[in-house]
Amino acid sequence: MNTITLKSDGAIAQADAMVSADPLMFLGHKVELGQDYTLRSFFKMVDHYPVFAKLSAFLPECLQQYRTCPDSECLAPGVGHLELYKTVEMTGFPGEPRLDIYHTLCGVGGEDTCEIKAFPLENLLDMPVRIGKLKHVVFGDKVDALEFDTIFNLFEFIEGIVWQLSFHRSPKECALRR
Amino acid sequence: MFKKLLFATTASPVCDNAAKVAFDLEMKWEAKLLILHVMGVPGRSFSLQFTDVRTGQHEDINPDYVEWVKEEMNNTYGKLLEDSNASIVTAIGDPYREILRLARKEDVDMIIMGAHAREEDVGATKHRSVAGSTMRKVAKAARCAVVVVNRPCTTCWRLFSNIVVGTDFSKASFSAFLWAFKLAREVGAKLHIFNAIDITAEGLTLPAGQTTIEQRIKEARRRIEQTYIPKLQGYDKYSMEVWEGIPYVEILKFARDRQADLIVMAHHTREIDPEEAELGSTVEQVVLRAACPVASVTHPDKVADLV
Repeated sequence: MNTITLKSDGAIAQADAMVSADPLMFLGHKVELGQDYTLRSFFKMVDHYPVFAKLSAFLPECLQQYRTCPDSECLAPGVGHLELYKTVEMTGFPGEPRLDIYHTLCGVGGEDTCEIKAFPLENLLDMPVRIGKLKHVVFGDKVDALEFDTIFNLFEFIEGIVWQLSFHRSPKECALRR
Repeated sequence: MFKKLLFATTASPVCDNAAKVAFDLEMKWEAKLLILHVMGVPGRSFSLQFTDVRTGQHEDINPDYVEWVKEEMNNTYGKLLEDSNASIVTAIGDPYREILRLARKEDVDMIIMGAHAREEDVGATKHRSVAGSTMRKVAKAARCAVVVVNRPCTTCWRLFSNIVVGTDFSKASFSAFLWAFKLAREVGAKLHIFNAIDITAEGLTLPAGQTTIEQRIKEARRRIEQTYIPKLQGYDKYSMEVWEGIPYVEILKFARDRQADLIVMAHHTREIDPEEAELGSTVEQVVLRAACPVASVTHPDKVADLV
């Protein structure tokens, strides 16, 4: 399968050649992450290829937030890296049986995964990003989910991360202290 | 302003954030708090079994089981119940119907609930119904305000500084505005009246040009000045803002910008038959993403004194 590598400086490379124009044609390509790839690299990529900002209604706002963040040391305590994984989930109840396929970006600290919704962007930008596996959840049993190797294409990668980031709106402080 | 409150809960961790708000409100307003847990849907005819709405398992209806459920709820909210006079109520039936039934019977001023009955992965919400079906149905039909708490709420209601009310100039939005004003005046918060011009609504035609958008913004500001400002009765802690874009994205941006403590919106955001109204996608998206609680107010019942 056609593969592209996302570099930590935000560039996209295919077979060691940098993609300079028309990045949309690579949306279906398999993604590999370069060395030291962080969430900041993701935003550098969108800065580098501004057309990607049109892929989600939330990306322009995320970019605005990104630009106000410090240049370094944007780390989340207790989280080792961020992992994007794919889930295939079969649900039997309530409602009609259904199957959903979706992506999740979560934090990984040691052996455990954690929700990152509560962290503002400025605590996540310098976290390493890794591509995870596919989890198969059968009838709500998330404990014994089966795991498989899988691939992500560029569209899934961008969309999955931005969807997650669109939920990051926790207030930094409560009004009591304002 | 709040004499009687109804907190609808599954007694699971997904309702914890809503629970804190409910108990906090009870204390602050010295209100009567009813905690309702709907156990399941009854079987057909004279069946003595009901189906648990969360697990799908069949359970027997008997007083011991009800007592056990109440005991479990007492344990779940043990700490919060220590300083509270709340009453625990259980019911069997469709959750949304039982919530609405009790709210009507007790004439509660506000219903408080979480967005889901179960923990949802963020990614899953893209494909499944974004907000829980019970919440949607309750918000659609309730005569009082329905406050949906989806994140930890860090601010006490009495200390709210900024209340954002999103309007599309519908009749329901007007009720939402009056309710937001009533609350803002009570707690001394600043009321932000916000309208988002939907520039994606043009369908397949060309996007609106800059001149058209500016005209629409001007018109929206005029409508706010004519319809809403006179109702403020001299209350000067307010602002009005009109932005263009995708309504739910703009409301969320605006709420973040103003550090909103509460977002108030009408359940259905267009002038449509309430019977056909689904929870407007705007409210649904806002509920899940907002950092603060979201209040859905559709009916004028609780703001009749301001009309």
